[in-house]
Amino acid sequence: MKRLLSSNGLWIGIALLALLIFPLIQRSQYYQHVMVMTMMAAVLASSWNILGGYAGYTSLGHAAFFGLGGYLVALAHNYFGWHPFVSTWFLGFVVLGVALVLGWISLRTHGSAFVVVTIAMVFIFRLVALNLSNITNGARGLTQPRPGWGGVPWSPEFIKVPFHYIMLILLCITIFASWRIRQSKFGLGLIAIREDEGKAEAVGINTMLYKVLAFGFSAYFMGVAGGIYSYFFTYIDPQFIFDVFTGVTMVLIAILGGRGTLWGPVLGAFIMEPLGNWVIGTFGGTQIHLTIFGGVLLVVMLFMPQGILPTLSDAIRQRKKAGMVKAPSP
Amino acid sequence: MTLPSTHLLIQTIILGLLVGGVYALMSSGLTLIFGVMRVINVAHGAFLILAAYSTYWLFQLTGLDPIISIALTAPLLFGLGWVIQRYILSRIENPERSSVIITFALAVTLEGLMGTFWKTTIRSVKPEYASEVLKFASYRFPVTRLAGFAAALLVLLILYLILQRTNLGRAIRATIQDRNAAQLVGVNVQMVSAVTFGIGIATAAAGGSLLSMIYSFNASSQTDWITRVLSVIVLGGMGSLPGAFVAAIILGVMEQLTAVVVTLYWSPIVFYLFLFLTLIFRPQGLMGEIVREKA
Repeated sequence: MKRLLSSNGLWIGIALLALLIFPLIQRSQYYQHVMVMTMMAAVLASSWNILGGYAGYTSLGHAAFFGLGGYLVALAHNYFGWHPFVSTWFLGFVVLGVALVLGWISLRTHGSAFVVVTIAMVFIFRLVALNLSNITNGARGLTQPRPGWGGVPWSPEFIKVPFHYIMLILLCITIFASWRIRQSKFGLGLIAIREDEGKAEAVGINTMLYKVLAFGFSAYFMGVAGGIYSYFFTYIDPQFIFDVFTGVTMVLIAILGGRGTLWGPVLGAFIMEPLGNWVIGTFGGTQIHLTIFGGVLLVVMLFMPQGILPTLSDAIRQRKKAGMVKAPSP
Repeated sequence: MTLPSTHLLIQTIILGLLVGGVYALMSSGLTLIFGVMRVINVAHGAFLILAAYSTYWLFQLTGLDPIISIALTAPLLFGLGWVIQRYILSRIENPERSSVIITFALAVTLEGLMGTFWKTTIRSVKPEYASEVLKFASYRFPVTRLAGFAAALLVLLILYLILQRTNLGRAIRATIQDRNAAQLVGVNVQMVSAVTFGIGIATAAAGGSLLSMIYSFNASSQTDWITRVLSVIVLGGMGSLPGAFVAAIILGVMEQLTAVVVTLYWSPIVFYLFLFLTLIFRPQGLMGEIVREKA
């Protein structure tokens, strides 16, 4: 913790303070909503990054765990009356358990085959949610009562505020976990797997165990976020929550900010999510936002495959170097 | 779950075979592209839908028959494919690692454009013979599916002749076998890649034109179709054309059987389960070689 704070302490403090007082200053329902969604996008991209960034396994299917968390929390709320703000943290472990099994199966594949398997995962989950209609209510979806605490619903002016703070807590935990993993031997092992899985195995890393754990951890935070999300919207249906596009969005955000870096996914979320909301707000119900997302992803992949943060830090390092020593002749 | 009668079972298998032929056409281009370029073109489903919309448009404006419109959609999409390979895909430095994300981005971009232009209304092309059914020994053959199957076989035959009988085909096959060796003996691999991508997308165009009269679709159907065709080529063995053909028939029949024996709603799961199981237990597929991919 100390090391995390000592290097970037000032910036983290400022950002945290800004996020803490945000809903007190900004009373607009719209901007409060966008901020909750932005922090959620940062959670999703950061937890995707544990597997996709550190270990280098591109999953386009983590929306499956997001949706699973959403369904578990909504079901527990409707059937047992468990409050989502409490239950989501525990039900996240169920998601983690499911993810460990699916990870153990799907991580036998590599490269493009793995990507394809993860896409199929979303569709399987969606199909199950659609067809187990006596539990999940099928295509009609699940509705939860208006958010509140202790039987008293929150007033419409206040309703976004609790969600703001619980999402902020989740964001802090996710970033902290991502940082801890990155600093640990486990994290080093994941990076070794990304660089050369064969050699990583040869030097004694239990690559399968490492990959499955990374898969599980990244699913946990997705599940928790999904749980909060389902309560935030009070309505979920299979089509909506098991969406491949959700998976693509988090990948785009992580890649844009800087895949494999701690802060890249957070930065990407604070760029893409407000932009996405602006596009949807401006162009309304059309699907042009898909084109804009796809286009941005395409441009980033082609011209800045490392993402914003690594590109920036490279540039700064170059500049510092240039000041000290002569640039080496090519 | 009820066990159907023999008559219903045979009828179902017939429908499965007919649909399987169309699946074979749709996935042939995908497996060819993978064979030559080691690129999984996730945008294949989007190209199918693009062709389906073009066919729908042509039919609405001029009344052109969906099967005949292949003669227009295929060259059009060949050109589009060639351009995309030449100016986007050829720039990728590490295709095995990033081509999936790039083609996915392409798919999302196309889906957004199609959704914007053609809205979300579910479409389908209904030529005059749309509801006609041929009867043969008490078995029913819907005319659209029969025609689709015949057209699919015809296009596949043309593809086969191009691959086996022309110099271009020889160059493509050589590149599939060994890219470097092909280059050494004078094959212009860059050119072959661009042309293969074009041909692959052209077969998707033919498949999409047939799709438009057999199924209903809108822009977001592309995600459903890409998983289907991906399952086909994974089961068949990525890069293997005969494999894709066999797998398409198997999956077509299995899908129809699930629809009858279980329910219609569960039938798409056949594709996802086969995809999952193949990649785990037989990653090389039915007829593919083991490709060591670097993760």
